[in-house]
Amino acid sequence: MYHFDWVTFWNYLYPPSAFQNPLIRNGFTVTIVVSVVAQVFGVLLGLIAALGKMSKFALPRWIAEAYIWYFRGTPLLVQLMLLFFGLGVTHIYDFPALNLGFVTVSGAIQAGTLALAINEGAYMAEIVRAGIESIDPGQMEAAKSLGMTYGLAMRRIVLPQAAKVIVPPLGNEFNNMMKTTSLLVIISAPELFYAFSQINARLFKPFELFIALSFYYLFLTTVWSFIQARIEASLGERKGVEKGPSMLKRLMTGNVHR
Amino acid sequence: MNTLPSPTPLPIDKQIIVKAEMVNKNFGSLHVLKDITLEVRQNDVVVVIGPSGSGKSTLLRCINHLEKIDNGRIYVNGRMIGYFERDGRLVEESEKTISQQRAEIGMVFQRFNLFPHLTALGNIIEAPVNVRKTPVDQAEADGERLLARVGLADKRDKYPNQLSGGQQQRVAIARALAMKPSLMLFDEPTSALDPEMIGEVLDVMKELAHEITMIVVSHEMGFARAAANRILFIDEGRILEDTIPDELFANPREDRTKSFLSKILH
Repeated sequence: MYHFDWVTFWNYLYPPSAFQNPLIRNGFTVTIVVSVVAQVFGVLLGLIAALGKMSKFALPRWIAEAYIWYFRGTPLLVQLMLLFFGLGVTHIYDFPALNLGFVTVSGAIQAGTLALAINEGAYMAEIVRAGIESIDPGQMEAAKSLGMTYGLAMRRIVLPQAAKVIVPPLGNEFNNMMKTTSLLVIISAPELFYAFSQINARLFKPFELFIALSFYYLFLTTVWSFIQARIEASLGERKGVEKGPSMLKRLMTGNVHR
Repeated sequence: MNTLPSPTPLPIDKQIIVKAEMVNKNFGSLHVLKDITLEVRQNDVVVVIGPSGSGKSTLLRCINHLEKIDNGRIYVNGRMIGYFERDGRLVEESEKTISQQRAEIGMVFQRFNLFPHLTALGNIIEAPVNVRKTPVDQAEADGERLLARVGLADKRDKYPNQLSGGQQQRVAIARALAMKPSLMLFDEPTSALDPEMIGEVLDVMKELAHEITMIVVSHEMGFARAAANRILFIDEGRILEDTIPDELFANPREDRTKSFLSKILH
């Protein structure tokens, strides 16, 4: 019978001891920062792609459609390899380490964040488009009749209303994003999964270590689901929307969508 | 049939606000506006009636270029709307110019189209602040005056979903007036309202009729009699009658007008 190594498990789970290990300490930070940065850029790319796809001109529509088609239709792992090693080996871009003064960002982290953002943008494009299209066209007409340009009407009238529709699936996307950062191990970006893989290579305690690791992700996604509920509640309050299902129910069913 | 009825005689010194010349508009194979020619003078209150699908709403929406036209010319305050001419052909104006032209023309919609994420006052000051760059305090002061004028001073902080249909439409009128337009377009402003709310909106419009040029697509004949100095009957994309309301009701020239009036006057 397998003897569960409680000491190792606890050592790598309990933050005060686990965070002594620089791999875990840095990995935890990298996972959070990469998730946030990639999501922010993913939303921006998604917004651009959504507007491109809804354009009355053919060229932006084609570009947006090709982008969405490619990045939703190929595995993220392939995109990661292609971006980091592919661009590196051809010397199109070598991803040199980036010194931001207080911290140096390795090429792998840059490439990983970029790949996640580009991949995310393709998914966000559909979410943003659905959000915009859910708004009554009369809103755009009313805004235009008041002398607003398309851009101003989008920014001041349509997008603030579409946000209510976009935010719940956006929250789910971010939940996924935090877990998906683990794929960055393939290009040796030092995030959480990489940290635990390195430790496991030394100790060979996969059962204990990966249960411990799962709790890190569970912690992140759970904290996020509470933040998300807050954000949605504040959006709903302002616009007189009824409340969604309770937090507990949403955690248990794993369904963060309305 | 192609000869237009002579327009109501008006003092010549009145400025022409809207001028449409041979306007044509197609939706695919459907010819919705046929050679529309029209002059609306300052302080005219023109009611437009006609069967559904006759093109009356489309005509209104062409005047502020929410719809493109296929040929013809529309001028508001002497400026061609939505297009400029190059070698005798119409070329669409830049978005910025079209927006500036629309800012001079107020429009009120059947479904109100208030911005649901903004309060009543927020709806009113939105365009003055963001389009005209009016300082917020001034826009708010103007907005409060407009709300008082439509009888809703106490509703300034209410969101549209906290207002009745009639109140929403009155806010929508105030919102359009906030841009100080020289022309107001009303697209069936009372058709989406419960009967008991129609009066409050028409009262506001009657007040307004004394001081601003208006084109109103509506089948409210009471309003036409009380406030309009002209009534147009449009059918199948043509203006068939252009006269004063009492004249139209007493002596409709066309058979189609007679049959239409008998339907709406019950």
